[in-house]
Amino acid sequence: MECYSEQIVAIAVDGELAVEEAQRLRDHLATCQRCRDLVDALRAENRVLSESLHELPEEAASPASFSSLRWSWGWGDFAILAAVLVLGSIIVPWIDELSIPEALQWLNPFGLNGSTNLIFNLSHYFAHGGTAMLADYAVVVGWLCLLVLLGGSALLVARRGRLRNPGLRLLIVLLALALPSFALDRRHADFVTVAANETVDDTLVAAANVVRVEGVVNGDLVAFGRTVEVRGTIKGDLITCAQRTEVSGTVEGNIYSLAHTLDLSGQVGHSIYGLVQSLHVDDRGNVGEGVVMATGDASFEGAVKRSVNIFISGNADVSGVIGRDLTTFEGGLTLTNTARVGGNLSAGVRRLNDVHIADGATIAGKRDIQVNVRESHFVRPRFYVHQALWLAGAMLVGWLGLLLFPTFFQATTQRVGSGWRCLGLGIGVLAGVPLAMFLAAITLIGLPVSLILLAVYLTAIYLAKIWVGAFLGWMILKPSGATKGDCMLGLLLGLLILTIVGFIPYLGGLVHLGMVCLGLGAFAGQLYRASRPAMTA
Amino acid sequence: MDAKRNMAKEPQPRVGGTGQLEGPDLESVIERARGHDAEAQAEIYRRYFRRVFGLCRYMLDSREGAEDATSDVFLKLQRSIQSYDGSIPFPRWLLRVAGNQCIDALRRRQRERKVIVEVEEGTAVIEAASSEPSPLGAVVSREEREQVRDTIARLPENYRVPLVLRYYSELSYDEIAQELDLERNYVAALIFRAKQELRRRMARRSK
Repeated sequence: MECYSEQIVAIAVDGELAVEEAQRLRDHLATCQRCRDLVDALRAENRVLSESLHELPEEAASPASFSSLRWSWGWGDFAILAAVLVLGSIIVPWIDELSIPEALQWLNPFGLNGSTNLIFNLSHYFAHGGTAMLADYAVVVGWLCLLVLLGGSALLVARRGRLRNPGLRLLIVLLALALPSFALDRRHADFVTVAANETVDDTLVAAANVVRVEGVVNGDLVAFGRTVEVRGTIKGDLITCAQRTEVSGTVEGNIYSLAHTLDLSGQVGHSIYGLVQSLHVDDRGNVGEGVVMATGDASFEGAVKRSVNIFISGNADVSGVIGRDLTTFEGGLTLTNTARVGGNLSAGVRRLNDVHIADGATIAGKRDIQVNVRESHFVRPRFYVHQALWLAGAMLVGWLGLLLFPTFFQATTQRVGSGWRCLGLGIGVLAGVPLAMFLAAITLIGLPVSLILLAVYLTAIYLAKIWVGAFLGWMILKPSGATKGDCMLGLLLGLLILTIVGFIPYLGGLVHLGMVCLGLGAFAGQLYRASRPAMTA
Repeated sequence: MDAKRNMAKEPQPRVGGTGQLEGPDLESVIERARGHDAEAQAEIYRRYFRRVFGLCRYMLDSREGAEDATSDVFLKLQRSIQSYDGSIPFPRWLLRVAGNQCIDALRRRQRERKVIVEVEEGTAVIEAASSEPSPLGAVVSREEREQVRDTIARLPENYRVPLVLRYYSELSYDEIAQELDLERNYVAALIFRAKQELRRRMARRSK
């Protein structure tokens, strides 16, 4: 008699074959060793399957931990939250009243004065004139996104087992090597100097207490230090993060600076971009193109060939020459007799007497002095348009997230509900990632990694609101189904509530911070879980 | 005869009658739970939480989803236990309820009536008996069993769900067919294919 198919035998081993058929099979087994072996093998397989499944994964938590997780947003949590809010409302005004040295005011994130608030300074600066720099960033970020996509695809392929580990490592090494394909010279010491007779042919990355360049750097100079002095020539760009940056030599490219003080008494071939407390262009200083800057105080005694756009919290003194327009925002403006502006003068000030223009000052174009009376933004229609646009953007991103990564999106949203664990992780990520970026940035191949990390970090901060909003809406609506429509409705409701709560003084800020932490925590936790095998986690 | 012994009816019930493995007082616990005794319900929760959560975790692909489903099963137990008539062992009945809960969750997510859609005609695929030994037969260690679990967890839903219902919940083909709203033959084919896929993946892993 012909042997039975494996499927029939498997059904029989499962005890699911019809009685007559099972009898016929039994008769056959009595005479067929091959089928008996198959029965044994299938029984062994079933046993392994059953035993493996019944050994539950470790994450099958105990009832106690499960129930504590389920009700983590209980009264106790609200009590702690209330305590945090009370403490916050005591501490924040106290910090605000501390006598912080004037020079450090710009670093005080709790400053009531909006113009000294670092974040507002920066966002305003980007919104008004920082576009050239943004365009450069966009190109860099575009390339980084492409690389992330390539890297992500490679990882996905690898996870599907089509690319073995050695292949993946090789790919990562190649990617890492491909990024800094330009040459780098890296120096790290207490005192890094490029002597007058020395020429560095590569881009120089220097981290030191004092970085001094008296010779020539043919590439860019990326300098981290207390003092950065450029007395020689830099053929590329100068990128500094320093307490004091002094340029008395020549920078043929741009200067990108994050510093307390930036003094220019030399030549800059292109533009200066930065965030500094004090900018000084002395009478020997010459900027080949423009200046885009957020600063505390600024003085221009030298020459700027094109426009100057500055967001200023203190005062801007101009006694030199500005080839085209001069635009200032917020702070005071003084033009002396020797000042010359080749284009228009636009100044947004709070009081008219913040502007002093000497009679001898020359302004070729129009004068446009606007006094910005600080009225509540709630009365401006533009404010509502902005909010509506933001909400629409967030809804669109949420919809795309649901469409493209439904499981991940929903799991991350649900994870927000794990409460304090999520919040703790989020605080860790919020504080830890910038540190990791900084550490990565000072290694040779770490700079691009650090920039990628920055892009992911900023994206996650944006998405945090969406996840928290979606969770909040879901908590309120408790939809019986989980269709996309329900999710979107929940998201809309959650975002609306978060937006409205965000306008409450103090509390709004804390809620916003908590929201970012929760969302980041949920994202990080879900990413971690997604990167691990589902059942052995 | 050896072969006849081999053909003993399966599944071997892991848990027998209501009180076989679960302590002599299970029946009274169930009885008290029916009478809305909170302590009895908590006792059922303590005893079966892990089993139910395990099933939900295997069937749903996120921990959160599994936690929600488990929570729902025990929340609804107060009402659903009234329909338990003792004709099948309680743990098996409870796992069936949990299985239904998970299938509902999967349905909601897929916005379709059926979790698994029959895609082919002629479900009984007749194939010659394989001469290659199943790599699963050689699984002995704890780590290897963990690998099996991991591989099952990564199987596509249409293979994973019937496989888990069969070998974890120990439901019959008919019961699985009823829960998934499928033909019995198709369930048999799915379980067979799931095991084949599992073997293939395990073999690839061990290479």
